[in-house]
Amino acid sequence: MAFSGNFMCTSFKVELLQGKHDFTNGQDTFKLALFTNSAEPTQGSFGGSGTTMNASVTDYSDNNQVGASGDYTTGGGALTNVTPTSSGTTAFTDFANKTYGSSTITARGCIIYNTQTAGGSSTTDAVLVLDFGADKSSSSGDFQIVFPTADSSNAIIRIA
Amino acid sequence: MFNLKMDLPKDRPIVGVKTTDNRGFTPEEVAEDCVKKLISISDNVDPVLRDQARAYAKDMEKVVAFYMKEAIRSDRTTVYNAIRGAGHPKLAELIRRL
Repeated sequence: MAFSGNFMCTSFKVELLQGKHDFTNGQDTFKLALFTNSAEPTQGSFGGSGTTMNASVTDYSDNNQVGASGDYTTGGGALTNVTPTSSGTTAFTDFANKTYGSSTITARGCIIYNTQTAGGSSTTDAVLVLDFGADKSSSSGDFQIVFPTADSSNAIIRIA
Repeated sequence: MFNLKMDLPKDRPIVGVKTTDNRGFTPEEVAEDCVKKLISISDNVDPVLRDQARAYAKDMEKVVAFYMKEAIRSDRTTVYNAIRGAGHPKLAELIRRL
């Protein structure tokens, strides 16, 4: 299997300490690209190692990305950032749910990447590798990614 | 030394995926997601308060779904008039009857 669990990319952690990612709503544009279970870290420009999609992935690549369909275009769609905040001693950020309408898609996982790393443009720096647990399919319908609640216990990116 | 913990749970999906075939999501389905974003109920809270909160969330789903249907109906009127104004009255009528 090419997807086997969820990973925060190690390169992202480094870039975070370098101050290269701004999750504030209206700042950096993060995209979510969908892939089949044939994607592997060593293909194209993923920049990773091994045979399963893991934390070694450094970049988005179009290898084994699902085909354009309905609202889904190559490279995926832009996400809506939830501006980082904190609760207690935990800081967190999240994204709004993303729906690709009128689509016929079968995907096993996704990569979230920053297209404006360090104030740049058209960047491909990977943030997260997410496994859906099984192939998910839409047929002339909606394909929706449901993000967890944006709080200190559930948000998708939390620093405790 | 400070140790920042920010890894993801590896053994279970942390994003959900919802899909449909040959249709979009219904107002009720969208309302359910909407209320989950608005109201978060801990499993550890007092059972009486938890049940009350869950009942309130269910009521809110109905309210949100109602206004979504109103918005859809209103938008359909706008679409109907736009298509009718563009010279396609039959198509406009088909859309109005959806």
